[in-house]
Amino acid sequence: MKLELRRIYIKDLQFGEKTSVNNGVLTVNKEELIAYLKEDKKVKDVKLDIARPGEKVRIIPVKDVIEPRVKIEGSGNGFPGVSSKMAQLGEGKVNVLFGAAIVTVGDIVGFQEGVIDMWGEGAKWTPFSKTYNLVVDITPVDGLDPHEHETTVRLVGLKAAEFVGEAGRNVEPDEIMTYEMGSIHEETAKYPNLPKVAYVEMLISQGLLHDGYIYGVNSQLILPTLIHPNEELDGAVISGNCVAACDKITTYQHQNNAVILELYAQHGKEINFLGVILTPELTTLEGKFRTCDYTAKLCKMIGADGAIVSEEGYGNPDSDLLMICKRLEKSGIKTVLITDECSGRDGMSQPLADTTPEAVAVVSTGNVSHVVKLPPADKVIGNAEAIATLAGGWDGSLGDDGSLSCELNAVIGSTSEIGYHNCTVKLY
Amino acid sequence: MSDKYKVLYYVNQFFGQIGGEEKAGMEPVFKNEKIGPAVGFESFLKGNGEVIGTIICGDNYFNEHKNEALSFIMKTVKEVKPDIVVTGPAFNAGRYGMACGVIAKTIVEELDIPAVTGMYIENPGVDTCKDKVIVVSTPDSAAGMRKALPVMAAITDKLMKGEELGLPEEEGYIPQGKRLTVFSDKRGSQRAVEMLIARLKGEGFKTELPMPEFDKVEPAPPIKDLSKATIALVTSGGIVPKGNPDRIQSASAQKWGKYDITALDKLEADYCTIHGGYDPVYANEKPDRIVPLDILRQYEKEGIIGKVSQYFYTTTGTGTSVGNSIKFGKEIGAELKADGVDGVILTST
Amino acid sequence: MFFIEGTFEDVLIKIRDYVHQGVELVSHPLGASIRILFSPYRSVILGEKNNKINAYHIEIIESSIISYRNINAGRKIDYKNAHDYALIDVELLKVSLKSFKEINNNHINLFGGDSFETGA
Repeated sequence: MKLELRRIYIKDLQFGEKTSVNNGVLTVNKEELIAYLKEDKKVKDVKLDIARPGEKVRIIPVKDVIEPRVKIEGSGNGFPGVSSKMAQLGEGKVNVLFGAAIVTVGDIVGFQEGVIDMWGEGAKWTPFSKTYNLVVDITPVDGLDPHEHETTVRLVGLKAAEFVGEAGRNVEPDEIMTYEMGSIHEETAKYPNLPKVAYVEMLISQGLLHDGYIYGVNSQLILPTLIHPNEELDGAVISGNCVAACDKITTYQHQNNAVILELYAQHGKEINFLGVILTPELTTLEGKFRTCDYTAKLCKMIGADGAIVSEEGYGNPDSDLLMICKRLEKSGIKTVLITDECSGRDGMSQPLADTTPEAVAVVSTGNVSHVVKLPPADKVIGNAEAIATLAGGWDGSLGDDGSLSCELNAVIGSTSEIGYHNCTVKLY
Repeated sequence: MSDKYKVLYYVNQFFGQIGGEEKAGMEPVFKNEKIGPAVGFESFLKGNGEVIGTIICGDNYFNEHKNEALSFIMKTVKEVKPDIVVTGPAFNAGRYGMACGVIAKTIVEELDIPAVTGMYIENPGVDTCKDKVIVVSTPDSAAGMRKALPVMAAITDKLMKGEELGLPEEEGYIPQGKRLTVFSDKRGSQRAVEMLIARLKGEGFKTELPMPEFDKVEPAPPIKDLSKATIALVTSGGIVPKGNPDRIQSASAQKWGKYDITALDKLEADYCTIHGGYDPVYANEKPDRIVPLDILRQYEKEGIIGKVSQYFYTTTGTGTSVGNSIKFGKEIGAELKADGVDGVILTST
Repeated sequence: MFFIEGTFEDVLIKIRDYVHQGVELVSHPLGASIRILFSPYRSVILGEKNNKINAYHIEIIESSIISYRNINAGRKIDYKNAHDYALIDVELLKVSLKSFKEINNNHINLFGGDSFETGA
């Protein structure tokens, strides 16, 4: 499979006459986009707004972040199985509005969190303070049940990304990234002496607001499955996960999965990258045993010498992470885990909900209870009331000057367990 | 008056140049001069700070009369108003380490004055204070004095200047156990792939989240027939014959003892505890509460167990180093095995 | 079905008591995100009572209690959104039950009914 991600650098974002990209400036026709999104009969109202890096703007509560793109060659524009017709992904050419993002906000339940600060202290903690964000705030028609509500918001975000991405169809890219890999057999013939590495990407698969989708299939329903890394980079995996703001994998992070990109960079040099295994994180213990056994078996079947396992969420998925680790290490497959930790506000508590001596190589992407102090914003996009939820819960979290203390777990992507951001933990 | 910051120093009888073990029972005294390690320590402050006095206290006195010793020390600290307190270094000396740790931590907690000490990593005093006090990692004996003092002085100087301390391994102190979130120059995915490549190549790598280490002991097989079994009593609760004939330490034990109980049905007033870590009133009232000989004899008579072993074994657990505990366990275990003991009741306090 | 008038922590402790008596843990006591640990409601599925105690289940429930306390230290329970938490709790429970039934070919033997809940 060969996929070209053709990056068009976006340097500014504005509303205007024609949805287009000129000299790196992305212009969006507000009315056209709203009208397009309102074609969905379940959408009552759409508000659009812009947040640029450095502006004193806070976005809350964020549901998903999506990269706007258009496929100019090869099958499957958009998100097949979800927002567009089914197609095989992973091959062809995609024009990427690199540096722009669609950010959806809207509360399905009252306790939702997920903040992006575009400036100052808060900006350091989220990767999405560096993107030019088109914020899509959706109000659905009355009387939808929570499932329909969630689906509506999810689809509208994806459609907005497709609509905006279309603006890049005829624009010459600034940079072309090529991702090419043949069958495992071919690659092993090419690199017979390189260690073979699999990537196990775990997905929260537990029900409402706790789901992920692969070609539109809810990951709850699958056995662990082998997927070509290009398919994920091309939009095969999307997020339906609206909790775990700090460590959920947004659709944008699937499209730009940092572990996949890093393994690709070393493919043919230090390692032979075999592929991605998507593993659901279920709620029942029997289900967990089944998926963990199956994941380890897949790694063995494809002949992995090493594996990287990334978690999504905190709590019961810690058990899956460590069970997979145990099984892989016992099969002689050297494993590196990526997880965040919850070592309490003072950093003095036991970091994971579960432990195993086999987990000898772990990358920690931050303490979700680490407290950050966010100054008041000039402008809040989304629901300003959600800030109280964000800060609430403990004494002294809202300052007299309007600043708020919140834990990293409320900040989108701060402790990304696919290692998308650069937080870590050191022992002092 | 100079603008140098003021350091109050604490040492034991030995480093205070009063005497050795024979002076370990001395009560605390304050001298408004620098004594022993305080002299060297001050020279490393490069003129930024000065030691305004030294408190000296016997190791045994401190561990056996903690409240009295602490109240004298706290009173002194309040009077001389230092900017920072330095204790030790205690190296691997258990009783001295306990004193250095407890004093430093109490000063931090009650008076909000920072404190620095120095100890060998295995000194039981480390765990009494490391979360609140900066404990410089020192070699295990006083031969390491010249290594320890400059590091303790450098950290003291940094704290007094209001500078943030760097990573423990860079600064030379024992980690306080705080897991702090910081930014790395590489994102997580890159660190993970580099770690995996290092593993695959058999090169060294360092996990960012060490799993807790548990010292797992394989349990012995169950006793098949309790009515034929010989049962021994072992305690870390410090029960000894009155007068403590073997001079077992009340804390940071260096030895254990064994006492013949063949002739006894229970432990009475000629036994007591020398343990320095709990209120001894109830144990002294009825030593069987710690070493349950009375019940065991009753079981022996009723035929529930075969018999009670000839000796009971005892030491104090408080502040005793892991190294010594392992050593005691092996020695006592070997004796019990040689005596044909089938089961042991091990009591702690 | 047991309804426990109390907190998430009370539910965890009740589960611990049962697991130590040999009752099987069917679903994991914790959710998949920190936010769900702030919930005033939590349903957990328990299975049959066995003669043998499952050491892994004990490990899970004990470490769940530690995690719960660790995360909620000094925090107030979010009663303001109690209704929404209840909604999510029941939705997650439905998925767990469905998954449990599939694994067991609909031969279910749930301990004394099916689940533990907590009410604020």
